[in-house]
Amino acid sequence: MSENQMTEATKTAGAPGEPYRGTTTGTESIVTLSKITKTFFRGSEPIRVLEGLDLDVPNGSFEALMGPSGSGKSTLLNIIAGLDRPTSGAVRVAGADLGPMSDSELARWRSQTIGFVFQSFNLIPVLTAAQNVELPLLLTSLSRADRARHVATAMRIVSLEDRMHHYPRQLSGGQEQRVAIARAIVNDPKIIVADEPTGDLDRKSADDVLTLMERLNKELKKTIFMVTHDPAAAERAGVVRKLDKGALQ
Amino acid sequence: MLAPILLVLMVFFVTLPLWVRSVPVQYNARSLLVRKVTTLVTALGIALVVFVFAGSLMLREGINRVLTAAGRADTVVILRKGSDAELSSAIGNEYIGLFRGPAQVSQAGGVIGEIVIVVTADRADGFGASNVLVRGMPPDGFAFRPELKLASGRMPRPGTNEAIVGRGISGRFKGIAPGQSFELRRNRPLQIVGEFTADGSSYESEVWGDLDVIRRSLGREAVVSSVRVRLNRPEDFDAYRQTIENDKRFSMKVMREADYYQKQSQALSTFLGGMGLAAAILFSLAAMIGAAITMNGAVAHRTREIGTLRALGFSRRSILLSFLTEATVLSLAGGVIGVIAVQLLSLVKVPIINFQTFSEIVLRFQVAPGVLAWSLWFSGLMGLLGGLFPAIRASRVSPVEAMRA
Ligand SMILES: Nc1ncnc2c1ncn2[C@@H]1O[C@H](COP(=O)(O)OP(=O)(O)O)[C@@H](O)[C@H]1O
Ligand SMILES: [Mg+2]
Repeated sequence: MSENQMTEATKTAGAPGEPYRGTTTGTESIVTLSKITKTFFRGSEPIRVLEGLDLDVPNGSFEALMGPSGSGKSTLLNIIAGLDRPTSGAVRVAGADLGPMSDSELARWRSQTIGFVFQSFNLIPVLTAAQNVELPLLLTSLSRADRARHVATAMRIVSLEDRMHHYPRQLSGGQEQRVAIARAIVNDPKIIVADEPTGDLDRKSADDVLTLMERLNKELKKTIFMVTHDPAAAERAGVVRKLDKGALQ
Repeated sequence: MLAPILLVLMVFFVTLPLWVRSVPVQYNARSLLVRKVTTLVTALGIALVVFVFAGSLMLREGINRVLTAAGRADTVVILRKGSDAELSSAIGNEYIGLFRGPAQVSQAGGVIGEIVIVVTADRADGFGASNVLVRGMPPDGFAFRPELKLASGRMPRPGTNEAIVGRGISGRFKGIAPGQSFELRRNRPLQIVGEFTADGSSYESEVWGDLDVIRRSLGREAVVSSVRVRLNRPEDFDAYRQTIENDKRFSMKVMREADYYQKQSQALSTFLGGMGLAAAILFSLAAMIGAAITMNGAVAHRTREIGTLRALGFSRRSILLSFLTEATVLSLAGGVIGVIAVQLLSLVKVPIINFQTFSEIVLRFQVAPGVLAWSLWFSGLMGLLGGLFPAIRASRVSPVEAMRA
């Protein structure tokens, strides 16, 4: 939304910044979870996925979350992102208490606060790269021209300014994921959540994406919370957390 | 008129996403374009319904046009009390002069008494026979109707068995075309010498000849069927009617000519319009179900995309609106196709029996802006209703579930 911040982002993008590890500076937390439980029901049988989980993510950090398949990583990520609600416990993200928000308030909040990166990219196949990136801006009051500028900036940050009018099927997996990242940052969100962003990519593309995420963290000061299986991916993060048996180890 | 207002409302609704902007219109538009075959088939289904719907409205419009174009506000039709139509009415010659008396009567236009009969004639194409209405009029009967235009041939000479035929039925029956002749009765032929038009009114489905010749042929010299009186001003009607209907010397019914035809057209247009509308409603149910199935398939197919949009922050309402719009635009496109195709119907002539005279009149499907507006509105409504449940379903997609799938 903030045009200035975005222009600033363009200026800083590409300029080598100070190495930045959220963990070293953060006194203030951007994510605070306390006593989170999440129980799904399969029929009448409860599946306790999260059991009294606490989490503090300092502002500006780059965190990786690992854990066995089915341990609840995606569930936790969705709760942080305001996409899912915990069965009990309190969720504070970017200064907001998500608990009392209505579904539509939550949707609005997401559009302003969260950038999503998914394992399978989730680009809209019928829209071009630029149109995909523009989607979150439709929820702002920006003019068409301003939206176009923001889209161009975001596409430049992911080095795909020459693929603006390509459709997803005309792009490689790595390029698709970079478009998805452009879409995640175009609204200048405070936090980027990524659920196994390199899971569907070959090594080379995965490394490109990880390098890009590192830059977003260091240069654009985005807090990144990334679920991953990939040790090489976790290595890029400042903090690696492990989820097992419903709690962080 | 209601239709244009409703149409404007619908256009407003369809373009609403462009104003509120929180709806990914591009996404819906592109989705329609990408699913070319499904979109086209659905749109054509809607087009067919709109074709039937607009067709029935155009037919109704055609009936009104044909039967009311003949009526003028400043002209009065006098029938014997108890008759509903010229055909069943008889008025003695001696009364005609009395109708001229009141001050409201235009001295220039005057008063004409006419005889109206039906004859059975064989169809020119050999398929059966039907009734044809023949009107015998005095020499000033032609001038009484300024809308009369000779299309070919010449005017009949007064006092002879010459006649002219309206363009609507000319050539449809054996002997009833310029240069031919047909029999009113055995050895009493009428000679057709010309063809006329009369503003598309039902007069164009009549044969016009000489009053006295026709009466003599039938042995009804002493009576006319109806009398038409031209008034000075349309507002004079009530006064004139009171004068005539209260006159104790005779028992007559006085109607505005326009009302007389309006009444005739009512039964027909209710019948035909009703049939057309019944067909359209049946069809529209099918089309609505078709649109619903198409949209439902689209929603199922695009669950993941919907989940993504929800994750990005589009609200349930945005998704609902966007799928409603998609459905409405889809069926409006069908509506436009239907409305364009239905124009072809205006080239078609429809012969039909007028219940009041039991004679054949020829209708045309009549294009009117109201018909087009109603049809488009109707197509949009089908999309809206057909798309409602799929759109609700789309708005209920849980982003978390959609992503897990
Ligand atoms: N909507 C749901 N209904 C039922 N069970 C669910 C649902 N979502 C997740 N689960 C279960 O919760 C557990 C954690 O899922 P998830 O968070 O996706 O794990 P991870 O991302 O770590 O692989 C799994 O056992 C999964 O089957
Ligand atoms: Mg997962």
